[in-house]
Amino acid sequence: MPYDVLIAPFAEFDFMRRALVGTLALALGAGPIGVILMLRRMSLMGDAMAHAILPGAAVGFLVAGLNLFAMSAGGLVAGLLVAVLAGVVARATELKEDASLAAFFLVSLALGVTIVSARGTNIDLLHFLFGNVLGLDTATLMLIAAISTLSLLVLALIWRPLVLECVDPGFLRSISRAGAPVHIAFLGLVVLNLVGGFQALGTLLAVGLMMVPAVTARFWARDISTMLAVAVGVGVLSGYVGLLLSFHAGVAAGPAIILVAGALCLGSVLIGPVGGVVRPLFPKQHLEA
Amino acid sequence: MQRVGWRFAAAVAMLVAGPGHAQQKVDIAASTTVLADLARNVGGDHVNVVSLVGPNGDIHSYVPSPADAKNLADAKLVILNGLGLEGSTAQFMRIAAKGAKVLVASDGITPLRLGNSPDPHAWQSVANAKTYVANIRDALIAVDPADRSVFEANAAAYLRRLDALDAEVKAAIATIPPQRRKLVTTHDAFGYLGTAYGVEFIAPHGVSTEAEASARDVAQIIAQIRAQKIPAVFLENVADPRLLERIARESGARIGGTLCSDALTDANGPAPTYVEMMRHNVKELVGALAG
Amino acid sequence: MNAQLQFRDLTLGYDRHPAVHHLNGAIASGALVAVVGPNGAGKSTLFKGIVGLLTPLAGRIELAGLKRRDIAYLPQVADIDRSFPINVYDMVAMGLWRSTGLLGGVRGKSAEIHHAIEAVGLTGFEDRPIGTLSGGQMQRVLFARLLLQDARLIVLDEPFNAVDAKTVADLCALVQRWHGEERTVIAALHDLDLVRANFPEALLLARAPVAWGATAEVLTPGNLLKARQMCEAFDPEAHECHIDVA
Repeated sequence: MPYDVLIAPFAEFDFMRRALVGTLALALGAGPIGVILMLRRMSLMGDAMAHAILPGAAVGFLVAGLNLFAMSAGGLVAGLLVAVLAGVVARATELKEDASLAAFFLVSLALGVTIVSARGTNIDLLHFLFGNVLGLDTATLMLIAAISTLSLLVLALIWRPLVLECVDPGFLRSISRAGAPVHIAFLGLVVLNLVGGFQALGTLLAVGLMMVPAVTARFWARDISTMLAVAVGVGVLSGYVGLLLSFHAGVAAGPAIILVAGALCLGSVLIGPVGGVVRPLFPKQHLEA
Repeated sequence: MQRVGWRFAAAVAMLVAGPGHAQQKVDIAASTTVLADLARNVGGDHVNVVSLVGPNGDIHSYVPSPADAKNLADAKLVILNGLGLEGSTAQFMRIAAKGAKVLVASDGITPLRLGNSPDPHAWQSVANAKTYVANIRDALIAVDPADRSVFEANAAAYLRRLDALDAEVKAAIATIPPQRRKLVTTHDAFGYLGTAYGVEFIAPHGVSTEAEASARDVAQIIAQIRAQKIPAVFLENVADPRLLERIARESGARIGGTLCSDALTDANGPAPTYVEMMRHNVKELVGALAG
Repeated sequence: MNAQLQFRDLTLGYDRHPAVHHLNGAIASGALVAVVGPNGAGKSTLFKGIVGLLTPLAGRIELAGLKRRDIAYLPQVADIDRSFPINVYDMVAMGLWRSTGLLGGVRGKSAEIHHAIEAVGLTGFEDRPIGTLSGGQMQRVLFARLLLQDARLIVLDEPFNAVDAKTVADLCALVQRWHGEERTVIAALHDLDLVRANFPEALLLARAPVAWGATAEVLTPGNLLKARQMCEAFDPEAHECHIDVA
């Protein structure tokens, strides 16, 4: 019976195995990025970027028609451009990064809508660009895996200055000029994961698997290494349970995965050992020192 | 003779109403390319037809533009499909149409059901298309009585072509062995085609292209294809094809070509007119199922 | 005198309004200098100029071959995200940047890190998140990080603000230790008794230098009064400055 419920769907159907692998790969790369975004108070960046990629996708469509590769490449370029411009402006001026990002992504969105409507087509480009986790082909799986691998490698490379930039940017500036390039590289990773995730899995899943596990992890760890591990673990668990939910209960797969992550998050807000709501209601005797 | 009479009538109209009525053609705004094509065949060169949703466009994700509002306001005749195809766009069209006559082209057709609502894709049966054509003819005559005989002649000729098309479709389907007349497609748009010609269409999505399939839906379809030995799955021209490719690969069914459901293609595509769309769809069906 | 720092007609400020006006002078290698002056005298501005965070409006600073990473800087209000999940040990270990670079591990350096934490009296606090530290403890952490930076020039902007007497004494001992190791230390301070007790050299600044030299000769009642009068001089309608530089 447990086999039928927990394992049989994956043993029997190839698309379920692919969905699981794709979700795991995404959780592995996007989880750590989400943790950094959260700690930098940029948790809403994912949603902003979903809009920022529209003009790139539209230009890709104008050039090559409904071609997934061209539209993704266009989206990637537009997303990187918006992220980098926002980052550079935030560093060169008094403007905070969120404000500069808001300005750039809205302009980008407007540009995208203009391009799409100038072409006079009513095809929902973003709908086309956003894939479905149940329809993963081998090429897309390879893409997600490659993005995940690249993300982890680059994160390992820039980890120390990246953390330093979050916790004490003034100190980083006083000892090194690495701050700006590291920040830009990180924004590049964010965009890469989002665009890759969008076309493989859909917007909701890509942004959701980036941010919700990260927020959940905040309630389980005091140090960043544990936080990363928890975020990845929550992402993986949500993917597995969410797919089972979609299989047995007939819920759409992407929302099911994020709902499971959301339930884990809500549970953590309540009973998480670090700053959870319930624990202070049952105080233990304090320690001697 | 007819031309002379028409010119005379137009000249009289100009004298009576001034330059504002100097247009020689009846302006028609239709919601989709299919309706626009039917109207063109009935109206001939006496009408100007615009379609709100362009070639390859999806009525389900249509957003009205000011240019569309102007086209509607300028039109003498506005053609909707009805049966819920236009959704909230129908309301926009009725309001923007101002004084124009509004025709619901599917009037008189007994709709199939899709769950609790009627299936709007009635034109996928040629017999229904003939009803559309008759409705359009009558509406055109009501709007422009002077050209009655032109419209009647055009419609009669076109209806004969549709009769021939209907026979052609039936003959083509007959070449498919009966037990192989079933397939899977993403868009639940072929209920009329299936009912009229005896082909079973199974859809992973609901009637709207916006609904997202669950893992259970996909698993059931794969299981069904395997169990019933369904020979082919079909892509169509408005929804995400990747999910369908996955289903085909996993179930062992053949991937058919692209079926046109809601929209015609542009002139370079395989289905720039209604007749060519039906021929194209049937050719794809026979190619994938007969083999 | 072997000059570590040389100010040549240095003017620093914001939006063309000078906060440090036409400063000339030198700081010797190995010197221990207190920079004293009223609020708004330009002490922090001068320090930002020295560490390269602020470009001079005029004149220049010569650093005698010092690179950016040879300079350790403790700002008055550190821009530190105290809610960031990092513990004392990792925070202090950041001081090793100069020797480890971008990728180098700190695993082999744990003795050094523990030593620095011990030197500031925080042994046992290694695993505490920085968010749980008091103000004085946080200042000790930053001093431990300075220790590991192994810098030739150390710039401290009001390092003893809002810190209790015990902490001041401990941290002052570290400053003396750096002085003994012949590092150059410059610190902005407002506790004149502390300056007299610990700093052999002082610069009294009030936008322009009022006095500069041996501490006892600089911190006279006359000079201090003069500094107080010179200070508040921001004028939104100020004319362009044309002091002739010989």
